[in-house]
Amino acid sequence: MQRRDRQQPGFPLVFWRELAWLRRRPLLLMLTVVVPLGLMLLLTAILSAGIATRLPIAVLDLDGSELSRSVIRAVDATPDTATVLHVAELSEGRHLIVARKIRGLLMLPRNLERDVFAGRRPEVVLFYNTQTFTVGNLVLRGVNSAIPTVAAGIRISLRTAEGQPVEEAQAAITPIPLQTHALFNSTLNYVHFLLAALLPAVLQTVVVTTMAYAVGIDVETRHRFAILRRLGGGLLPAMFGKMLPYTILFLSMLGIADFVLFKYLELPLRGDPAVLVIAGIVFVLACQFIGALLALLLRPVAAAVSIATLLTAPAFGFMGIGFPRLGMNAFAYGYGELLPGTWYLIARIDQTIRGTPLDLSWKPVLVLTGLVAVLISLTAIRVRIMRRSVPERAA
Amino acid sequence: MKMFLTVFRNEIGRIFSLRPVFSVVVLAAAVYALFYPQPYLNEALRRVPIAVVDQDRTQTSRELARLVDATSDVAVARVLPDVPTAEREVYDRSIFGILLIPQHFERDLLHGRSSPIALYADASYFLMYQRMNGAVTAVSRTLGTNFEIARLVGLGVDPPVAAAVTDPMPFIPVPLFNPQGGYATYILPAAFVLILQQTLLIGVGLLGTLPGAQVIWTGTARRRVSDLAFESIATVAGKLLAYLAIHALIVATYLIGLPYLYGIPRLGSVATILAFAVPFTLAVGGLGLVVAATFRNPLAVQLVFAAIGLPFFFLAGFAWPAEVMPAPVRLLSQLLPSTLAIDGLVDVAQLGASLSDVHREFLGLWLLVAVYACIAVIIEFIRRRRAPLPVPG
Repeated sequence: MQRRDRQQPGFPLVFWRELAWLRRRPLLLMLTVVVPLGLMLLLTAILSAGIATRLPIAVLDLDGSELSRSVIRAVDATPDTATVLHVAELSEGRHLIVARKIRGLLMLPRNLERDVFAGRRPEVVLFYNTQTFTVGNLVLRGVNSAIPTVAAGIRISLRTAEGQPVEEAQAAITPIPLQTHALFNSTLNYVHFLLAALLPAVLQTVVVTTMAYAVGIDVETRHRFAILRRLGGGLLPAMFGKMLPYTILFLSMLGIADFVLFKYLELPLRGDPAVLVIAGIVFVLACQFIGALLALLLRPVAAAVSIATLLTAPAFGFMGIGFPRLGMNAFAYGYGELLPGTWYLIARIDQTIRGTPLDLSWKPVLVLTGLVAVLISLTAIRVRIMRRSVPERAA
Repeated sequence: MKMFLTVFRNEIGRIFSLRPVFSVVVLAAAVYALFYPQPYLNEALRRVPIAVVDQDRTQTSRELARLVDATSDVAVARVLPDVPTAEREVYDRSIFGILLIPQHFERDLLHGRSSPIALYADASYFLMYQRMNGAVTAVSRTLGTNFEIARLVGLGVDPPVAAAVTDPMPFIPVPLFNPQGGYATYILPAAFVLILQQTLLIGVGLLGTLPGAQVIWTGTARRRVSDLAFESIATVAGKLLAYLAIHALIVATYLIGLPYLYGIPRLGSVATILAFAVPFTLAVGGLGLVVAATFRNPLAVQLVFAAIGLPFFFLAGFAWPAEVMPAPVRLLSQLLPSTLAIDGLVDVAQLGASLSDVHREFLGLWLLVAVYACIAVIIEFIRRRRAPLPVPG
């Protein structure tokens, strides 16, 4: 590296020059190492609990009977919810929900016990907040599983009171029991569902914007562009020499994130690790060439970085994790189709939690490979056009 | 006062004349307003395709499949002969669940025995899982209850009594706010606040780092500490008010116009929303000034903040409950205007809270304004002390 001046032009020269740049420019190193690691660490810390349990709800118990107390106990016993306090009236509960002190309010009406056993079917009401989607649904799930359990006990006792044997009563109260099996993520763990998808999504933005910058500073002026080409001894070696150091760095970042996910957060690896690695490589390459292409098309560098941000910062929503792509309009579906992250996440979910059979695993990998091929071709065409516009003496 | 007005005018002029700043603060905000909501505009996920594996092939099993298909959440896309075939289709993502109706389903039901069915639902996408589980649970309960009532009536029980025995204590979930459970209604009000923060933060960061951000002098060459302090305060105040003035229209569009345009219900009053937006904008502006002083390079600001939106969104404790975040993370989240602003603005706009309901967030934002403005003043003061004397004339 010290004798760079004597080296032959070619791929290694550009490669080592880029590494030297990374060492000398703190911003580049920060963008390729500190920022992705920092953001991924932050997201991991936020979601590390994986499962939200014992969400606080309040109770408005107007009955105060044995039955109402057993309902409260049952709701408190579910993993999802915890009954943390009693309120005296509805408005107080509503107030606490708005202030997010509690996530739901369970109302047990006056004479609940008397009416239940008199067959008057009194209603147990849960007020909950669907504005906070995830939390609202978890609270509903918890209470919704607790109340039927209590109700089942009552139904059995109503029947046995009529002289029906217990076993027969038990079978009679649920003629069609439903056994639900949550495929692939049986504990409904948010680490395996959300965090595992968020980390590559953050990396996608980082890679595209950083490459727009790193390539941008080399092609911003015709002079620099010509130097890069001469150092590489041709267009292709220069291009790959420029890109490869970043490929290695970003793949390492992805590797570190995955190491933490697999080792400490117990993300299962049910598929083929080789497919996962190949998908990761083509994913990073695709992101890199999107950034490079933007840098070649747009000047100054700031404009390339702006457009790169605009295209990738809102991308997570389009990749169909929170709200599945199935429910999207045509534009959103189409845009998701063009994002490398969409396909990488499919491949990733296939190879981690799903354990998709190998013969069904190739589609996202092939799409990503095709995307890389198209992007490389476009980049090559663009670079050729730019060379023609560079004056001869510079070359 | 003269100083304050000079800075104010100068900063507004720079926002419009510097292309990168204008792009981020105005153009990006306009593009995101149209672009960001696209995935969620259908509001609900409907007709998730599942397969039915009907090993019973009776009238009742077909009736069950028909009822499941009739729900708005689930569609029976395929009828497949066995579970392994259906599993392959799940791996292929052509269906997302399998409803298995075992042999003798109808016979067991008619004989008064328990007749279980099974749902294998893809839980690699939670919203799909939730839809499938909800729809099939509801259908199996309804159908089961009908059978139970019919049996009891057959035994000579009065129909009202039979209904009471099968469902003695009905459970009524009442969703307050966003009663349809719409996804756009859930995510957009919070996301809009975050977009406002991101665009203004990067914009102010660029303003402070691009050429032309030099110190403005009052013209006097005196360097008394009290003068410097006064000038620093006037500068920061002038800048913050310039951002507030420029952002006023954008904030109003994002918090009032866009929700209206996208049909998101609003319970709160416009005045309360705008009153809450004032400390939010000032806090973001103050943070932006600190960011500019930290990074000193416009590209660094752009690049470092490009990917930070996503972590900031989850940090806000909106999509994922703050209760279960580690304590240091919660502490960090309180330093961001977006955390308090999303809580407060969503409460005001979507939940109809009054300013007194959200006084904690409101005061918290003013506290952030004070903290960031103080830091900005100190930075400005130091910069002025170190700056060379202005050349007179």
